[in-house]
Amino acid sequence: MSGTLLSVRDLTLTVQGEGGPRTLIDNVAFDLREGEILGLVGESGSGKSLLCRSLVRLLPSLLIRMESGAIHLQGRDLATISDAEMLKVRGGEIGMIFQNPTSHLDPVMRIGDQIAEGIRYHQRLGAGPARAAAVEILAQVGFPDPKRQYDSYPHEFSGGMRQRAMIGVALSCDPKILIADEPTTALDVTIQAQILTLLMDIRDKRGLSIILITHDLGIVAQTCDRIAVMRAGRLLEQGPKRQILSNPKDPYTINLISSHPSMPEGTAAAMFVPAEAPVAGLPRVKPLLEIDDLHVRFRTGGSLFKGGAKTISAVAGVSLQVMPGETVGIVGESGSGKSTLARAILGLNEISSGHVSFDGVDLAQQRGAGLAKLRREAAMVFQDPYNALNPRLTIGQTLAEVLKVQGKCPPSAIRARVEELLDLVGLEREFATRKPRSMSGGQCQRAGIARALAVDPKLIIADECVAALDVTIQAQIIALFRQLTETMNLTLLFIAHDLAIVRNLCERVIVMYRGEIVEQGRSEEIFARPQHAYTAALIAAIPDIDPDRPLLSRPAPRCDLLPMPVLPAETMP
Amino acid sequence: MHRYRFILTRPFQFLPVLFGISVITFILVRLIPGDPARNILGTRATPAALANIRAQYGLDQPVWLQYFYFLKNLANGEMGKSILYKIDVLQLIGTRIEPTIALVLTSVVLSILIAVPMAAIAARNAGRAPDHAVRIVSTFGIGLPPFWLGLMLIILFSVQLGVLPVSGYGSTFGDKLSHLVLPSLTVALSLSTVLTRSLRSAMIEQLKSDVATAARARGMPESIVFWRHVVPNSLVPTINLLAVNIGWLIGGTVVVETVFALPGMGQLLVRAIFSRDYMVVQGVAMTFACATVLVNFLADIVTVAVDPRVKL
Repeated sequence: MSGTLLSVRDLTLTVQGEGGPRTLIDNVAFDLREGEILGLVGESGSGKSLLCRSLVRLLPSLLIRMESGAIHLQGRDLATISDAEMLKVRGGEIGMIFQNPTSHLDPVMRIGDQIAEGIRYHQRLGAGPARAAAVEILAQVGFPDPKRQYDSYPHEFSGGMRQRAMIGVALSCDPKILIADEPTTALDVTIQAQILTLLMDIRDKRGLSIILITHDLGIVAQTCDRIAVMRAGRLLEQGPKRQILSNPKDPYTINLISSHPSMPEGTAAAMFVPAEAPVAGLPRVKPLLEIDDLHVRFRTGGSLFKGGAKTISAVAGVSLQVMPGETVGIVGESGSGKSTLARAILGLNEISSGHVSFDGVDLAQQRGAGLAKLRREAAMVFQDPYNALNPRLTIGQTLAEVLKVQGKCPPSAIRARVEELLDLVGLEREFATRKPRSMSGGQCQRAGIARALAVDPKLIIADECVAALDVTIQAQIIALFRQLTETMNLTLLFIAHDLAIVRNLCERVIVMYRGEIVEQGRSEEIFARPQHAYTAALIAAIPDIDPDRPLLSRPAPRCDLLPMPVLPAETMP
Repeated sequence: MHRYRFILTRPFQFLPVLFGISVITFILVRLIPGDPARNILGTRATPAALANIRAQYGLDQPVWLQYFYFLKNLANGEMGKSILYKIDVLQLIGTRIEPTIALVLTSVVLSILIAVPMAAIAARNAGRAPDHAVRIVSTFGIGLPPFWLGLMLIILFSVQLGVLPVSGYGSTFGDKLSHLVLPSLTVALSLSTVLTRSLRSAMIEQLKSDVATAARARGMPESIVFWRHVVPNSLVPTINLLAVNIGWLIGGTVVVETVFALPGMGQLLVRAIFSRDYMVVQGVAMTFACATVLVNFLADIVTVAVDPRVKL
């Protein structure tokens, strides 16, 4: 590692608000060395994305101004150069990749053309040479058939391949610095590992420097050389990776590290002793939920006049028993059918064949009675807390609505019950009068849990309910779930793609892959001795916060290249 | 190329649509009060003469049988005979269809030529003076009724300046074109406002989109970001809006053709309605319906060509 490439000094950004200017980035200074990966860590709203966009003057609003500061890149100050020069810096010297490749790639332009566009503009190459260069880059970022795939459109690829294309676009003009803004947050854990490996690989081959923005300390521990921690627009702490992780100085950094789900080895799962041993067929304990050979299929394509309808098997032959009081985690990548399974259990998806019985009532045979029972005794907590709450109702009204509809609470007692629910989920009672938009993500999710608890359920299904939250908030919500299951004899079905969280919370784990259960058992055993290759790959792909436990050295199965199982329409029963 | 396979299958779906249209036009025409035979022969005609005319055009038959003959003729590519002009309806439409097609085409091209630059200026200066100027002009365009606007254009260009013909339709190509300038301008001034508004909001949205941010982040100048990324992504919703408006325009040429005395389908339709010329009204209505269906079909093809994600 040699000299300093980028040097940021006293950078301050303000936004022109109603009550005068408000500081967004406060006196930030950091250096980026050649060939280094710098991890910029912080929760949402800490200003890490804004900081990086300000480097190339891509501010999201005209109201945001750079008050002071200098950005030195190889003898020039990016804060003072003209807009025309900045055009050359963007792409040519600093490339960017983004969290969501789907929205950042032009949907109506061929993938190869988007890479060639920068080459043609910056390097003034003709159409032919630019195309050849773009094909070369596609091959470098891992497209198996770059010549043909040049002409494909973004929607024809999976999320992982789209992110590879995005990296290709950023690399097209041979930049010296790559800014990666949460590049793997929207991806599955095995794909995430591939993308991170690709980024490190590119760093090694091209010798460029990377600023990696992320909220996941595990990713930082696995990939970065140095770490900078941001909160509320300030850089709290920066330094070499090992020093920060083993000896954090700032209380916020300490909290961030202790909140990381993979951190305390085996504490939660080991400490949590289930009331009933979750062995199926134990005498006298009737399972609360019984699923027997459940199939859910969707028809896609085809129309009234032409045939060609295909059937996608989202859930293919799942059998499962959940005992009262159990906490079961369902893990798997997107498309593995875990959400479809949850929706089928609650009667939100039609069941193609098989049985789901809840507390002795079979949903397929007595649909009306089963659904009525489910609505009174089971509840769901959703992924996006903002969209799952009615924005026009206060939290109190939302909770009261459930209580009224279910008729489990006399009208005079509703108020008291609402307050009791808020106490349960750790919200102040004054939240009863607030609306979702004036609350944070974590507070909204607590309200969502309170709404689920309002029906006094036997079963709660939580579908990716912490995926959209910051790590510190995640840890709080998990702690809340743990406390609730312990005190209320609740049965919890916890769906997540984050295995670390599931390991900490659930006593039993079910691993789903392409609509089937490939493995199930007690959490400690599954994580210690995975039997199925897919489970092993999933576990190996989790970025550990310990930098001495490297990210998988062997390539994970390229699940993103394999199609969903598609059955011909005739096999529909 | 299976995305384009619908071009072969879609026309079969038009059959029930056209059948439905034929039923409705047939019934509606006969609901207009009045009697074609009395219209031709006048109020003093003898009952025998009236009955003679009715028998000649099959008007004495039960309605369902008349409809059956109408369908049977349609299947043979005939639409019956005009009571007023005494010639085949199809032949009649053939002589009148050219000015209407020309008017619709020139109007659409002209409104696109007006709308795209206007929307681009407004979107790239959103919230500033040029944007407000475009909005004020658009509001005028929507507010002014075509018959009045047409008359004002005639007064300005034909009467005062004397550069363009007042009305009618020429015989040579250049002559025809000069006769079409004012009518199509009248139509385009109101049609382009709708398109401008739709395009402007789509462009403003796309200028803020992640696609535009990503293009800027790889160093593309604002002009390339706009014309290569923003514009293509803004077109899709506007294509369908344009198709709906062309459908409306085809039926709406009546007013403009009347103001400018263009011998087109609209004029023919008005006369046919007044003289209760059932066959002509049916024929023109069916032609308009077919044209509307065809325009929407073309719009679907264009949408598929512009947006690779769309499957029909």
